[in-house]
Amino acid sequence: MTPQEIQQIFFVECEESLAAAEAGLAACQAGTQDDDTVNSVFRGVHSIKGGAGAFGYVALQAYTHTFETLLSDVREGTVALDEALCSLLLRALDTLSDHVNAARDGSDPPDDAALLAELTAAQAANRGGLAASVPQTEPEPFAAPVAAPAEAATDDFDLDLDSLLDTLVGPAADAPAGGDPAGPEWHLHLRPHAGAMQNGAEPLALLRELAAMGARCIACDLSQVPALDAFDPAQGYLGWTFALPARVAETDVLDLFDFVREDWSLSTGADAVIPPVRLAVAQSSASARTPESAAAPAPAQAPAPAPTAATAPAPAPAPAAIVAAAPSAPERASPSPQPSAAPPSPPASQSIRIDLAKLDRLIDTVGELVIAQAMLAQRLAGDTGSKDELAMLEGLTREIQESAMAIRAQPISSVFSRVPRILRELAASTGKHVRLEIIGESAELDKTVLERLGEPLTHLIRNAVDHGIESAEERLAAGKPAEGTLTLSAEQRSGRILIRIADDGKGIDRARVLQKAIEKGIVAPDAQLSHEDIDNLIFAPGFSTAQAVTSVSGRGVGMDVVRQNVKDLGGRITIESEAGKGTTFTLALPLTLAISDGMIVNVGDQTLVVPLTHVVESLRPAPGDVQGLGSSRQMLNVRGRFVPIVPVANHTGHRGEPIQPSEGVLIIVDTQALGQAALLVDEISDQRQFVIKSLESNFRAVEGVAGATILGDGRVALILDVDGLVASALGQNPGPGTVREAA
Amino acid sequence: MTTITLPARCDRAAAMALFPDFVAAIGAEVLEVDARQAEQVGLAMLQVLVSAKGSFAHVRVMPSDTLREAARLTGLETYLLDEVAQ
Repeated sequence: MTPQEIQQIFFVECEESLAAAEAGLAACQAGTQDDDTVNSVFRGVHSIKGGAGAFGYVALQAYTHTFETLLSDVREGTVALDEALCSLLLRALDTLSDHVNAARDGSDPPDDAALLAELTAAQAANRGGLAASVPQTEPEPFAAPVAAPAEAATDDFDLDLDSLLDTLVGPAADAPAGGDPAGPEWHLHLRPHAGAMQNGAEPLALLRELAAMGARCIACDLSQVPALDAFDPAQGYLGWTFALPARVAETDVLDLFDFVREDWSLSTGADAVIPPVRLAVAQSSASARTPESAAAPAPAQAPAPAPTAATAPAPAPAPAAIVAAAPSAPERASPSPQPSAAPPSPPASQSIRIDLAKLDRLIDTVGELVIAQAMLAQRLAGDTGSKDELAMLEGLTREIQESAMAIRAQPISSVFSRVPRILRELAASTGKHVRLEIIGESAELDKTVLERLGEPLTHLIRNAVDHGIESAEERLAAGKPAEGTLTLSAEQRSGRILIRIADDGKGIDRARVLQKAIEKGIVAPDAQLSHEDIDNLIFAPGFSTAQAVTSVSGRGVGMDVVRQNVKDLGGRITIESEAGKGTTFTLALPLTLAISDGMIVNVGDQTLVVPLTHVVESLRPAPGDVQGLGSSRQMLNVRGRFVPIVPVANHTGHRGEPIQPSEGVLIIVDTQALGQAALLVDEISDQRQFVIKSLESNFRAVEGVAGATILGDGRVALILDVDGLVASALGQNPGPGTVREAA
Repeated sequence: MTTITLPARCDRAAAMALFPDFVAAIGAEVLEVDARQAEQVGLAMLQVLVSAKGSFAHVRVMPSDTLREAARLTGLETYLLDEVAQ
């Protein structure tokens, strides 16, 4: 694995850590402040800090250090996690997210000075009375000759505040068995071997992780490093003793080395020493020797008692002093270098990370497989001897397709989880505090859909808060709670996912919308528009009713873009609004963009595909079931309910007299905004999976057509845009100015 | 005096690649290591520097912040970098 790939994983894990920390803080804010929740927040920030150090993101590391220090105080219970602190920590998390983005994009880090000051102030307020006592009470029984305290205090990000706190509040109850329960520290001796540096692994990254846990190097054994003429750069020679605060559990430390245990030797305990060098087998024995010419000091002859070195307050002038702080001779190594308390190896990982490009290739190939299977089925249609095998092949193809799509499916919570931050920012800029309710966040949909959903969703939320939800004063005057409520919900329904963004605000002011539309020339002054028509005017390009342009919304750009974004995803957006009660935007999106099920129909000389997600039923009407309406429309009586008939031939350029309903087949379809309609086609020829190919990118957008596909016989068939077709046929979609159906 | 300049990425591969240069410099009274461009420093390169320190009468290292941090982390700051202050 290349360093770039490892770095990429770091950023993916940053996202996960941020999400976990945000979920934890949200739970804290909601009143759940147990140890697990607080620890999850700490761990999230801590992991980012560790990686930031390993990859040299100095600004990110510095920021997370301050953040983590305050969280450590919270975790220790020395500072109360009240609402104000929750709010501060959430803001700090938002800035941490910006830091991560900056590190990933190589852009300038965010201006965090003010926030750092707030974090430090919150920490100082907590520790104000304690700071003065630290110098007197801080015991340094194993004072490291390798670190000058003054320097660490001013320069080292890994300033060990945890251990300072330990001296004040006492060791944690879960102090490691090998350490002194009354003492402030315990020691870990370790040495990486050749394998620890192979395949892109970097031992220093783990040491930084250790340092992030509060460990500090108190002795480095460089006695085993040979002079250059006997040196092998592939071997691991250096070894260390690190001191850790007593509250850091040994198992937590050893967990760090779980996956590299083969390549490191570790030991703990009062009598333990730095484990011996273990040279790689392939290396010559010459590499193992420590030549006399080497300036590196010889191995310590005896386990020099730590206090000898501990009393040295400053770095010893001679290298030997650095080396000999801890015994390290190979012959004195513990017979069992692996700590006895080492936990058993964890079970094999249950998940792997896959490059998205590889997954996309798989999806593409599966799409071609679906087409090939359809072609084969068509070729062998008359061969009854192949019937069973074809059925089996079709079943397997479908299974492969579903499995491949399932790999790409992700819960919508990954998008919903960004909303709290948006609301916090909006609260800061508009003064409107909004309570968020989320329903159905475990619903899954394709990763590509998810990725492209973020932008329209963000705009709709900003719009809801800025334009929909009233100010606290207005709400109170209207008899509502001062705090508005925004409800996000997601549910799967017949192959689509419905996402609703509902606010309990004032609803759309239709009179003002209409007035504005007339002023802007979007609709004629004498236009007769239904409530729905007026509501949908907000999607018209350039439309805005905001009294003043704000940084949040109201620039007149956005809602039309939202509609286009949703349409690009093959989805639709509709509005329901009630004056004084609020507005709900509903996004109906496909679960996937690649493969779907469809009904293959013939209309005149054309073969078309009706997406199965819209199909309710199909029937051949009896003559009495069809009734005329006006001069040209016909309605179908479906068990006492009248449904408009849409002759598809009228929209396909069919020349000649269209067939009558009684001569063809009527397919009852569900539309997002106009309820049900009956599509009149000549016949249904098949029902099968189809691979969606974009017509827009290969040709151009065509009204009433959602895309194209390749049939089993190699012909191209158009996929009907059922909602668009019905809206157009029923005269409900006359133009952008009077959009009824939003997409 | 021999000067060896370290690259920005001082990982294991860089240590393997530069090691012959260090060996070739044996015999020089003073070895100067210009690490001011080092943005990433790994254990392998630190070990080469430690070995060099023991193989020359004087090794002067001009460190970058990253190298200094790595040396501090591993308890080698004084051993490796003190001479630069002289």
